[in-house]
Amino acid sequence: MMNGLIQLLNNYGLSYDIIIKASFYLIAGLTVLFALFVVLSRNIFHAAVYLAMGLLGIASVYLYLDAEFLAVVQVLIYVGAIMTLFIFTVMLTSDIIDTGPISGMFSRISVSALASLAIFFILTKVITMTAWKAVLPAEAAVSLSQLGKSLMLQYALPFEVISLISLAALIGAIVIGKAEKK
Amino acid sequence: MVNLAHLIPVFPVIAFVTNILFGRKLRKSSALVSVSASVISLCLSIYTLIWFLKGQGSYTLFKWLIFGGTSLNIGVIVDPLTCMMLVVVSAIGTLIQVYSIGYMKDDVRFSRFFAYMSLFMSSMLGLLLADNFVTLYIFWEGVGLCSYLLISFWFERPAAARAGMKAFITTRIGDTGLLIGIFILVFSAHTIYFSDLANLTDARPLFTVAALLIFCGAVGKSAQFPLHVWLPDAMEGPTPVSALIHAATMVAAGVYLVARCFTFFSAHGPALIWVAYIGGITAVLAASIAVVNNDIKRVLAYSTISQLGFMMMGLGVGGYSAGTFHLMTHAFFKALLFLCAGSVIHSIHTQDIQKMGGIFQKMKATGTTFVIASLAISGIPPFSGFWSKDEILSEILHNGHPVLFTIATVTSFLTAFYMFRLIFLVLFGRPRSEIHPHESPGVMTVPLGILAVFAIFIGLVGSPFMNYAFQDFLHLGQAHEAGSPAPDYLVMGLSTFLASFGIAIAYLLYVLNINILPQRIRQHFAWLYNLVYNKYYIDELYNFLFIQPTLRLSRLAFKFDLGVIDGTVDNIARATVILSKIASWIDRYIVDGAVNMTAKVVGLFSLTLRRIQTGYIQTYLLIAFFSLVIILFVKLIGGL
Amino acid sequence: MIPQSHFLLLGAALFSIGIFGVFTRRNAIGILMSIELILNAANINLITFSKFSADPDASGQIFALFVIAIAAASAVVGLCLVISIYRTSKTILVNKINLMKW
Repeated sequence: MMNGLIQLLNNYGLSYDIIIKASFYLIAGLTVLFALFVVLSRNIFHAAVYLAMGLLGIASVYLYLDAEFLAVVQVLIYVGAIMTLFIFTVMLTSDIIDTGPISGMFSRISVSALASLAIFFILTKVITMTAWKAVLPAEAAVSLSQLGKSLMLQYALPFEVISLISLAALIGAIVIGKAEKK
Repeated sequence: MVNLAHLIPVFPVIAFVTNILFGRKLRKSSALVSVSASVISLCLSIYTLIWFLKGQGSYTLFKWLIFGGTSLNIGVIVDPLTCMMLVVVSAIGTLIQVYSIGYMKDDVRFSRFFAYMSLFMSSMLGLLLADNFVTLYIFWEGVGLCSYLLISFWFERPAAARAGMKAFITTRIGDTGLLIGIFILVFSAHTIYFSDLANLTDARPLFTVAALLIFCGAVGKSAQFPLHVWLPDAMEGPTPVSALIHAATMVAAGVYLVARCFTFFSAHGPALIWVAYIGGITAVLAASIAVVNNDIKRVLAYSTISQLGFMMMGLGVGGYSAGTFHLMTHAFFKALLFLCAGSVIHSIHTQDIQKMGGIFQKMKATGTTFVIASLAISGIPPFSGFWSKDEILSEILHNGHPVLFTIATVTSFLTAFYMFRLIFLVLFGRPRSEIHPHESPGVMTVPLGILAVFAIFIGLVGSPFMNYAFQDFLHLGQAHEAGSPAPDYLVMGLSTFLASFGIAIAYLLYVLNINILPQRIRQHFAWLYNLVYNKYYIDELYNFLFIQPTLRLSRLAFKFDLGVIDGTVDNIARATVILSKIASWIDRYIVDGAVNMTAKVVGLFSLTLRRIQTGYIQTYLLIAFFSLVIILFVKLIGGL
Repeated sequence: MIPQSHFLLLGAALFSIGIFGVFTRRNAIGILMSIELILNAANINLITFSKFSADPDASGQIFALFVIAIAAASAVVGLCLVISIYRTSKTILVNKINLMKW
């Protein structure tokens, strides 16, 4: 069916490359848009939802980078667990959803905007200045088994450390989140 | 025999100090202190005379100043002139001080009076003993000071205080001349010693000038024209003072000075002639004023001035011994005259002769001695004045000065006239006002008697009867014309005739026709009378010429001092105040303003910078991040 | 097909937006969300370099995996803190949580 679709599209002059390119730019743009909404929306719940959407967009970008496992992990962990947590917290804490601007806010916004624009500009400059080596994508793909192997062999120590960190976070969260004894 | 001459002035000084310090305790005994000091001086003077006659002379006491190669020696001069004057001064001084015991009996400042008298005695004696101009000048000023102190002794009376000032200032003018003369002498001749004066015979004009200036000092001290104005006013002082200082001794200092510098003066002819003519003018001027004056003491004062002029005339024509002789005789009879006048005043308490008359009955002793003194001064033989005055007249005639001779003879006539006018008006006739004369106590009349004896007989030592012993004595130790001059009968006759004529006229006017003739003469010659009565308006002239301008100048100086100098000070003060106001403004607004502004600027900065410290972590993060951005930016741009 | 720089640019854009959000948002949870954005931007970079390297290198992806794990742990702890603070101050706006401020 896919081939048929691709063939259909080919008939309209759209090659595989162009489709991939166009969709990538679309998805990337959407992601950036969602990220903007995250930081700009007043309503925190909306922000959380936008974040979820943005994370999904990022997962899609991973697909373009031939990191299928990571895309799935991203969706599962980030969007599935973390965003759920965020939503829970939002529900638990925000009585006041909308907040007005405070007196010192304006200058902070403008200075922060300036700072972030500046850093973006710098990064862009650096990125465009550098001569990246052109590499064929097919040869550079990493397989899942390769990933599993390096995780267990090469990066075994960080793997263990991660589990420790998770344990610590777990304990910490429980302790902090405990209700006070009366 | 030892030289004791230098001790002569010492004892009166001790008396002066004692009376000044312990006068209040001693009271009447202070007179004893002074008189005994005076007596000791008299004894020492007589001793010195004998010492001199035995062949001793001047000697040096000690070196005073040493400068360069020369030194200023203080010494004592012992020669005939000095010896004679020492004895005369100390003798008369003693007698007058004894007289003062009675005269000043009721005065409050009794001891002070005797202190000043002693000081005067020591100054005068020191003056006589000085062997150089410097020492002489020191004592010269000393007698001037004592004269001032004693004239204004009753200083509560403004007239007396003024008279003291007048005396001091007038003699000061003369003293300045003397000082300049001394300077010229030192400058040109490099000497101050009298003994060197005889050597300065070369006729330099500078020497003549010096001589004339030295004579200036004599003019001032001896009350010659034109500096005679102080002596009549000096009669404001007590009568013993007038007797001692202004009759017998101090005024004689001028004559003494001329005599001391006689060889110097005669070597420079014009100087001596000046002396003579000034003396002449003075003599006749003063005599004419004495004729119409009505104050007993002032008549005697003008008489003194006149007689001093006579002495100057005598010295001026070259008669060294004549002038000196008259100096000696005059000292005695003038002192006597003043003491008699003092006795009269003490008894009837007035000095106006128009109020007196007929005193002789009650005051025999005073009256007799008064008449004797008047005969002496008029030049009636054989009294002392005759011999000395005659000698002067003779000298004038024989040295070829017809004008001066005329002046001298006219003066002699006038002298006799006014003296006997005084006698007739004071002693004889009827009392013209309510007066109650009584004879003075013995302490006053005994000195009168002693002086009267001298007034009678002292002239004889210079007369032919003693072979002119006095004149020989004076020239002792110097070469002089051999032999004694022959008695000049022409002059003697002339002078006696004139004197008698004067007495006769006075008798005519004031005894026989006392109520008519004087008035008629006054009316007839009213203008002349007024002129002479007002002393030829000389005092008024001096007032107009000198005193008023000086006062005006001093007033101007005062105004200048007040306006300009004080004004300057005030203005400086005002300027300082204004400056300080400006300074305070600057301080307040500019300086403090700068400080305040600094504070405000700091405040402003801190207010601005405060806004960084919000307390919010986000702000701090932002700042840190922004700094990082800037650093990266700089690196980026730099690397580009 | 899609050049390396484009992916990196995407990462840069997300990073800038996340930075902006950290400085700007008043809500504590909002700040945490912006931090998540930053972490994700880093992840994109890691994976891009992993893909566009010479040998097939898995370290980029492994590292991205670890980042996800760490991010999760930090988000957990952070949110617990937020809840704890909410219990005492009844607010989660960072400018109002000033118990320690004088």
